Amino acid sequence: MSISMALFSPPISSPLLNPNPIPKISLSLLSTKRLSLVSLTRASSDNGTSTPASSTVSATTVEAPKPVEEVSVKSPSENGAVGGEETDLTTTTTTEIKFQDAKWVNGTWDLKQFEKEGKTDWDSVIVAEAKRRKWLEDNPETTTNDEPVLFDTSIIPWWAWMKRYHLPEAELLNGRAAMVGFFMAYFVDSLTGVGLVDQMGNFFCKTLLFVAVAGVLFIRKNEDLDKLKGLIEETTLYDKQWQAAWKEPESSSSTVSSKK
Amino acid sequence: MSSFALKSFTGLRQSPTDQITLVSHVPSSLSLPHRRTSLRVTASRASPKLANRTLRVAVIGGGPAGGAAAETLAQGGVETILIERKMDNCKPCGGAIPLCMVGEFNLPLDIIDRRVTKMKMISPSNIAVDIGRTLKEHEYIGMVRREVLDQYLRERAEKSGATVINGLFLKMDLPEEWDSPYVLHYTEYDGKTGATGQKKTMEVDAVIGADGANSRVAKSIGAGDYDYAIAFQERIRIPDDKMTYYEDLAEMYVGDDVSPDFYGWVFPKCDHVAVGTGTVTHKGDIKKFQLATRNRAKDKILGGKIIRVEAHPIPEHPRPRRLSKRVALVGDAAGYVTKCSGEGIYFAAKSGRMCAEAIVEGSQNGKKMIDESDLRKYLEKWDKTYLPTYRVLDVLQKVFYRSNPAREAFVEMCGDEYVQKMTFDSYLYKRVAPGSPLEDLKLAVNTIGSVFRANALRREIEKLNV
Repeated sequence: MSISMALFSPPISSPLLNPNPIPKISLSLLSTKRLSLVSLTRASSDNGTSTPASSTVSATTVEAPKPVEEVSVKSPSENGAVGGEETDLTTTTTTEIKFQDAKWVNGTWDLKQFEKEGKTDWDSVIVAEAKRRKWLEDNPETTTNDEPVLFDTSIIPWWAWMKRYHLPEAELLNGRAAMVGFFMAYFVDSLTGVGLVDQMGNFFCKTLLFVAVAGVLFIRKNEDLDKLKGLIEETTLYDKQWQAAWKEPESSSSTVSSKK
Repeated sequence: MSSFALKSFTGLRQSPTDQITLVSHVPSSLSLPHRRTSLRVTASRASPKLANRTLRVAVIGGGPAGGAAAETLAQGGVETILIERKMDNCKPCGGAIPLCMVGEFNLPLDIIDRRVTKMKMISPSNIAVDIGRTLKEHEYIGMVRREVLDQYLRERAEKSGATVINGLFLKMDLPEEWDSPYVLHYTEYDGKTGATGQKKTMEVDAVIGADGANSRVAKSIGAGDYDYAIAFQERIRIPDDKMTYYEDLAEMYVGDDVSPDFYGWVFPKCDHVAVGTGTVTHKGDIKKFQLATRNRAKDKILGGKIIRVEAHPIPEHPRPRRLSKRVALVGDAAGYVTKCSGEGIYFAAKSGRMCAEAIVEGSQNGKKMIDESDLRKYLEKWDKTYLPTYRVLDVLQKVFYRSNPAREAFVEMCGDEYVQKMTFDSYLYKRVAPGSPLEDLKLAVNTIGSVFRANALRREIEKLNV
């Protein structure tokens, strides 16, 4: 108990170091809990030979030794009785660093503070929201009813998103397509003597053009190739699992699968 | 077959007289499969009448699936035996039932502890969206205690004429001949022999396996395995003033911290709340996810006492074989849990009822022996009625539970009134309702917009990381 107290005091002074101690504690808790977790899931999910009454008792008494949460205040009412033990959830000693920003007012961004030359600087709103989400991903916070988060990303106009994300990428992809297209046109011309205008009339060339455009659009990084293959498999997997009941080789109703 | 029809029609423009004869050809070729199915039906109708006894069917498992199946069988005149291993089992469960279940199964309203009419969806960055504005006065999600619901359905089955046995199903001997009975081996518990029970056997003509996610009946017939999620739940009794917030409200938390492929929840129960989470891919980290869920709800459950910890597997998709000869699986044993929401109670009860109806019909109220084709009719009917629902929910899960940006977009979408109306319509009444095309188009545009914005923000986050 004193060790956990000591572990909790440094974070108050150094917010940057805050993320680190907490995962470590949960990790150590996790390793000690691994044994109990295994027996817990086995006890409650086993249809097995143990008599019905004992499985629930073992589920509750396994948890009795330590409270699961990182709290130093323990309730005195902890007992391993068959009725079920009770662990208290009051946290009075831990202080968390919540997300705070001068421009984050009442659960949303105060757009007036983002003004630049009389107009809202949407780029900085986007960056500020990204920083907030990153902070929350690293330090998940509790939701409270007193300060609900009300920010809706759709208040940022569509052209701000276009300008910031779509246009640079479109430029990149169009550049790639143009380079590939120029080189392929030159290559085909040098090999076959067919000029650019005549190439466009050919069906095979049109197919190649389509493949080139699709390739540039969908495969932007090396990993995308595998990701696409995985996606195709993923979309059909659930259907396959359902139709498995109909794929019986020995039963007479294999004709039913043809009906489907 | 359709391409044949097309070719013949283009050729028809020159000779209109041929058109009529060719058209008459097309429907007959299309009806061939129907003729084949009618052949199958007559084959089972030709199966023998049972001499001076009614059909005997055992239902293994006394949950919603087993209870509904046993009741329908007994009402249909079939001799029914329901075997349940624990009569007071408190199955760890969210406990939410849709409105249509109350009507379809004639559930008394006092079984429902709470009526949830509001839901809150909370995104990874704690953006909270209220759902439920579109619900009408009489619409709600019912929260029940499983032990109460299961007991009620079993009692109703018993009143209809089923025999309820407190016993543990051990294994089953498959029949040698086509008309030999199934021999069930089970341990019967009665007060006299104490906790160990007495080993017994029973001969039955057909078996309905309704024994849940770890079904032994499924193992006996080699039904195959499925992927499953672990749902972990803690029941927490919170102070009364905090309980009023959850009076008719349930919460859903999404985020990588709460679960990588599912959601964390706070559901109100009779006098406490159930806080839990689940996962398929990272089962070892379930405790971490549970801590994170409690952390996200911390302010609202502060001062609560954990009164019970429970966990259970949830099937993710149906087993490869859902029936074999005269044994059929229903409910969780078959794997009828939807994706995205993880709903199973209604589908369990409905599948139990559908399977029992197929048996009653195929055996002509218990007078004839049934065979596999009768049970196949139940599978056909089930797949035809509910496969669209399952598919839609699968797509939703695949698209919106993949990553934090997807979840942010999901929560944003849920704020839209049209989405809420469609979601509740399809959840409460179990029909994939076709909405208006214009609204669907607007919805599609909004979805793409939300997903784009969320992914753009994620790219911004990655830029900040560098």
